[in-house]
Amino acid sequence: MGNPGKIGVPMMNLVRLKGVPILQQLHLEERLLRTSSHNWCIINDATNQPTIVMGVSGKPAELLEIESVLCDQIPVVRRFTGGGTVLVDPGTIFVTFICNKDAVAGVQPYPQPIMSWSGALYNKVFQGIGDFHLRENDYVFGDRKFGGNAQSITKNRWIHHTSFLWDYEFRNMAYLKLPARVPEYRLARGHLEFICRMKDYLSRSVFIDRTIEAAKTHFSVRSTDLEAIETTANTKFCPSTRLLTMQELEAAAKFASQSKVSLTQSFSL
Amino acid sequence: MMIGRRIFILQKRSFTSVRRFLCPYTSQAPNPNPSPAQGSASFRSAGSRSSILHFNVPYIAVNRSFFSSHAVADLPVGGIVDVPLAQTGEGIAECELLKWFVQEGDQIEEFQPICEVQSDKATIEITSRYKGKVAQILYVPGDIVKVGETLLKIVVEEAQVSTYVLENPTPTQEGLKNIKPCDSELTKNDICGVLSTPAVRNLAKQHGVDLNDVKGTGKDGRILKEDVLQYAFQKGSIKDPSASLTSASRRQFLGGEEDHPHPSGEVLGSYEDKTVPLRGFQRTMVKSMSMAAKVPHFHYVDEINCDALVELKSSFQNTNSDPDVKHTFLPTLIKSLSMALSKYPLMNSCFNEELLEVILKGSHNIGIAMATPSGLVVPNIKNVQSLSILEITKELSRLQLLALDNKLNPADICGGTLTLSNIGAIGGKFGSPLLNLPEVSIIAIGRIQKVPQFTDDGNIYPASIMTVNIGADHRVLDGATVARFCGEWKQFIEKPELLMLHMK
Repeated sequence: MGNPGKIGVPMMNLVRLKGVPILQQLHLEERLLRTSSHNWCIINDATNQPTIVMGVSGKPAELLEIESVLCDQIPVVRRFTGGGTVLVDPGTIFVTFICNKDAVAGVQPYPQPIMSWSGALYNKVFQGIGDFHLRENDYVFGDRKFGGNAQSITKNRWIHHTSFLWDYEFRNMAYLKLPARVPEYRLARGHLEFICRMKDYLSRSVFIDRTIEAAKTHFSVRSTDLEAIETTANTKFCPSTRLLTMQELEAAAKFASQSKVSLTQSFSL
Repeated sequence: MMIGRRIFILQKRSFTSVRRFLCPYTSQAPNPNPSPAQGSASFRSAGSRSSILHFNVPYIAVNRSFFSSHAVADLPVGGIVDVPLAQTGEGIAECELLKWFVQEGDQIEEFQPICEVQSDKATIEITSRYKGKVAQILYVPGDIVKVGETLLKIVVEEAQVSTYVLENPTPTQEGLKNIKPCDSELTKNDICGVLSTPAVRNLAKQHGVDLNDVKGTGKDGRILKEDVLQYAFQKGSIKDPSASLTSASRRQFLGGEEDHPHPSGEVLGSYEDKTVPLRGFQRTMVKSMSMAAKVPHFHYVDEINCDALVELKSSFQNTNSDPDVKHTFLPTLIKSLSMALSKYPLMNSCFNEELLEVILKGSHNIGIAMATPSGLVVPNIKNVQSLSILEITKELSRLQLLALDNKLNPADICGGTLTLSNIGAIGGKFGSPLLNLPEVSIIAIGRIQKVPQFTDDGNIYPASIMTVNIGADHRVLDGATVARFCGEWKQFIEKPELLMLHMK
């Protein structure tokens, strides 16, 4: 399962994508996590359209401004990993690592060790470029977030994927509610004071190249293309990542407005 | 960004620490059957024989290495095993149950995934440590499960020995074989339904004792080591049970009981080498001590005159009308420690190596090392700065009772900002404690001993002297700060009336 490439260093298949829809990317990742026995690095340079991606148990009523989402017909995806809600669009760069549990020496297959390992990897990527840190579970420059993480850990493998905010559109902020729980380091900052754009630090291609170089310090990286994976795909596999239906979102909208009403009523008593 | 309902991270820690404790507590045989949430630990000290010990204060449960995606179970009684949610990451006290992969009545194999939970950013598959049949499922998807709560009950097959506490992920088959009984007599004892630990069963086997014949004096009729030795002595199998008992209890105090028996030569009568694979807390201790060893420590030692403290304690006891309250030295020491911390907040901080930042903790959450039947734990008293000595006494008592009963909450064990280690309970002059990372200081206090002191004009008088050893992270603290802090604390102990000056 270790797929040793160079002596002692496991192999990793690198898949470079560009503008692939996030749902398709997540389906691929879920399939590779659950049915492959190799290590993978997937880099998707932008996704094709603005999409909201919620964590595995995200509740639309709590996380989204559903009326706006429905009005503007923004697709909402529930992914298979934990973590919070993001709005991804062509300004987002995705980097995913899918590994066997013994693939990285000294990294136990648990959330924190994997998170730390990823922090060390990106430390190499951003060396000399910005004041990079892993802060709680986010990647920050200084104290501003530019990368959010999520993971899924199975019996023998794990996935750690990141959405990097290379650029964002201010108006997209309006679709997401402020989450009930925020990281401590956020303090009382509004969204715009909390995040920053990676494009202020480096270009997309430099970022991607440096990430691949950093991955090479742990793995023997070889490029694979999407078609090669698709042809050997396990067609029986059914991913859990899915697009929420209009009905589900409308039901959530109804629930949200009912809650608001009862809250108002209780205050007025 | 997480939904409040789902996650509850109590406190993130950069490092794990498993430490040795000391507390004037327990003469009961430890029960190596801890529930993960309490993080009971059974583990050993580094140097058990010398009077100057290398101190590792035990501390558990909500620490980084203390986690497992194997649902660890209690000792099987009558074949039904309660399988709790094991620790899955530092500072994580609860997980949301996402889905079950099995249902009631299903036959499951060892290492088979049984459910998926979510904690913060990760979904995690939980696998079964046991082979057996699912008897009862206790949560439904969407429920929040606290670490340590029973997820499901499994009917296990006979002769499976529950020996692990929390441990590294995926123990190998080989590892399990090391622990499984390989003897029919032991198997008989396993399945006879008596409550006893594997170590006690092994001891019984060595002495040819059938556990069914032994009367247990432990909790719930549990058979303790002493019971087996006493029975064996009466049977004529061994000459002097007290010698064995002394060495046994000495080991208990020093390091707690573990899953594997560590018989002394006199009990075994054999001088062969014995390989003991390190498991559970001991294994974690290897890692955490290794990490602690990387921190440049320095130790500051001082002597404190406790005459006033002794008098104060007597005064409290004499005027005490509450039968539930028992006054000891610790609460006053803890309160005066907090007073000194207010003046030297750097001693009550956490160091983040990654960011090169020191977080001066607002609350004084003083951890007190304790011995429990399940091993060593370090619960902490929260917000000592806002508590009176009486309140500290009651809270200490509450924690001690819970610890003895193996019922400490994760909340009681997380969030400590400084650790106090009462080595005096065991003996020795003082210890040389290792830090409970990411705290930056730890205090080991020795026994209060009556020693002769000299007056200025050469007369001798008795004084109650306590030696303290403060271990400190030299990346954050310097000798001067620790020395001044200790001087401040010492003043409050030697002149407790000064506490009144700061009384609000």
